[in-house]
Amino acid sequence: MRLNSLAFRLFVTALAWTMVVLPLAGFLVYSTYSQEVYRNYDNRIRLLLSVVQADIADHTGTELGTPGDVGEPLFQRQHSGWYWQVTPIDEPDGPRRVSNSLATAVLPSPFASKIVADATDVRWMDGVGPLEQRLRVAEAIERLGDEVSGRRYSVIVAGPLEWPEATAAEFRTRLATALAFAGLGLVAMTLFQVRFGLMPLRVIERDLSRVRAGDAKKLEGTLPIEIEPLQQEINALIQSNQEIVDRARTQVGNLAHALKTPLAVITNEADEDKSPFAAKVASQARLMRDQISLYLDRARMAAQLGTIGKVTELLPVIEPLQRALERIYRDKGVAITVQCPETAKFQGEKQDIEEMLGNLLDNASKWSKSRVYLTVTAPEASGRPAARRRLTIRIEDDGPGLTAEQRTQIGKRGLRLDESKPGTGLGLSIVGDLAQSYRGSMTLDASPHGGLAVTLDLPAV
Amino acid sequence: MRALVVEDDPDLNRQLVAALTDAGFAVDKAFDGEEGYFLGETEPYDIIILDLGLPKMDGLSLLEQWRRADKKMPVIILTARDRWSDKVAGMDAGADDYLAKPFHMEELLARVRAQVRRASGHAKSEIECGPLRLDTTTARVAYDGQTIKLTSHEYRLLAYLMHHNGRVVSRTELVEHLYEQDFDRDSNTIEVFIGRLRRKIPGDLIKTVRGLGYRLAQEDDAP
Repeated sequence: MRLNSLAFRLFVTALAWTMVVLPLAGFLVYSTYSQEVYRNYDNRIRLLLSVVQADIADHTGTELGTPGDVGEPLFQRQHSGWYWQVTPIDEPDGPRRVSNSLATAVLPSPFASKIVADATDVRWMDGVGPLEQRLRVAEAIERLGDEVSGRRYSVIVAGPLEWPEATAAEFRTRLATALAFAGLGLVAMTLFQVRFGLMPLRVIERDLSRVRAGDAKKLEGTLPIEIEPLQQEINALIQSNQEIVDRARTQVGNLAHALKTPLAVITNEADEDKSPFAAKVASQARLMRDQISLYLDRARMAAQLGTIGKVTELLPVIEPLQRALERIYRDKGVAITVQCPETAKFQGEKQDIEEMLGNLLDNASKWSKSRVYLTVTAPEASGRPAARRRLTIRIEDDGPGLTAEQRTQIGKRGLRLDESKPGTGLGLSIVGDLAQSYRGSMTLDASPHGGLAVTLDLPAV
Repeated sequence: MRALVVEDDPDLNRQLVAALTDAGFAVDKAFDGEEGYFLGETEPYDIIILDLGLPKMDGLSLLEQWRRADKKMPVIILTARDRWSDKVAGMDAGADDYLAKPFHMEELLARVRAQVRRASGHAKSEIECGPLRLDTTTARVAYDGQTIKLTSHEYRLLAYLMHHNGRVVSRTELVEHLYEQDFDRDSNTIEVFIGRLRRKIPGDLIKTVRGLGYRLAQEDDAP
């Protein structure tokens, strides 16, 4: 997940919210619970205090007696943490009573610490008892006898602080564990949500790259309504782009073709005249003609992008070419022998294979004595992966042929080996360029029939 | 020999007419498809140069209509569209040859001569009739190796007879094939030119077939 990504943004915001809300909620729940625990504990101590308080007087009601069983066995066990203590406030050496658990120890006094009493006249504090025990201490002041002569006694009940603390701590641990699990679950859920939610964007991405590679004409996947308009807009953009490119290409073609007639006029006019000026005009006109052919070819090759999926059957292309060429060269009586499996298919534009075969057959017919051979070898229909299926087209004639040296020179744009035969010198180089644009090749060698043999290697289907 | 040029560009039309006239043709011209169709339909041309991009009626459908009307004259298509699909369409519509613009006039003339020869059944560029020899490429006429100087009208007449040697050619046919459409035709002028040719060419090669016309043949040829 990269920093600058939608997934990261969605994930981080969700994570930040979880990080704030979960601990806050945990803190609130914990503090509410622990307050409740301490209040309950205080109420219990208050209850015990009131039991001890009610039982300190002897049978006269004015003298200190011995409080009985307060209903809590822990007051009997020494240093159990539960203690009570009754002491006279005004005379330190006066009679005192304590629980068995306290023995000779003395409890801390909230009254002595000047702590203010609550609504029920009980004073509270956390203090330290025997054996350094931390205690919750409650104290009430009880007067025995009348207002004047009666003595004031301090009644103290204490319980160990350890107990509510342990309860609260245990709760805290459980709560933290539960919240941690919830947090982890939320993070995992968010991750899943982000991935699942953003999946349609991946569909768009995949479709777009298919369009760019020429495997598709537009975005086609079914998308959620939120990004469907995006898909429609992209499709509209692709289409308008295609239209602009098509229009530009058509204009280039129209311009090029429109220039050819005036160029023919200039060429012919210059050919008539034998002056150096006319020769200059003629050579420049030839340059212009070559440029026009070059850019027409480029415009056509640019059109190949986006036509990757095109498939052309070979026989329907070969037969009309054969017919036309045998008619053009009928004075010579040129016969074109075609050997081509009916299933042979070229993976590419019809116009391109037509151009390659037309130029090569025309060339062969022009130079032949009377025989031209076209042999197509197509791969078996199955067995090989589509990318490696190749088509081999071999075109031979029984003419004079070329020397090895001539064969390396030919194919250069505009080069004509024999100026006496008509032609522009562009034919073979166009074929070579076209074959290359299909990741194929054109090779020249000598034919057993005597003339030139041209072999094309092209993608098949 | 009569030729028709159907081309809408006035300059190119003029050049084609001039070049064909120099090559010994009686040339008519049309600047749009309708005019071209009418001329091709009514006049007996020996060759037609046809541009495909024409106003009023395009070249291909014009050619198809001629062929449907059983007009068999040779037609050379001249066009800026030089894809093989265009060439195949042109040949299938009934063209005899196809030349892409821009072109060299020499090449066009070579193809015109080849088509005219083929239409009259001659395979080579030199046509012979006994000791008489016509080089269609250079427009030279020789008898036993001796060049014979001819005026352009004499050449036209002899070239037509040579192309159709051995066959009786009527005076009407000669008039139709030797003069432009708007020429003031008088078949008597044919007789004058035949007389001149007979004086310039030794031997009695040009025979008069009474009531029918003329025939170019070697002396021992049977009529």
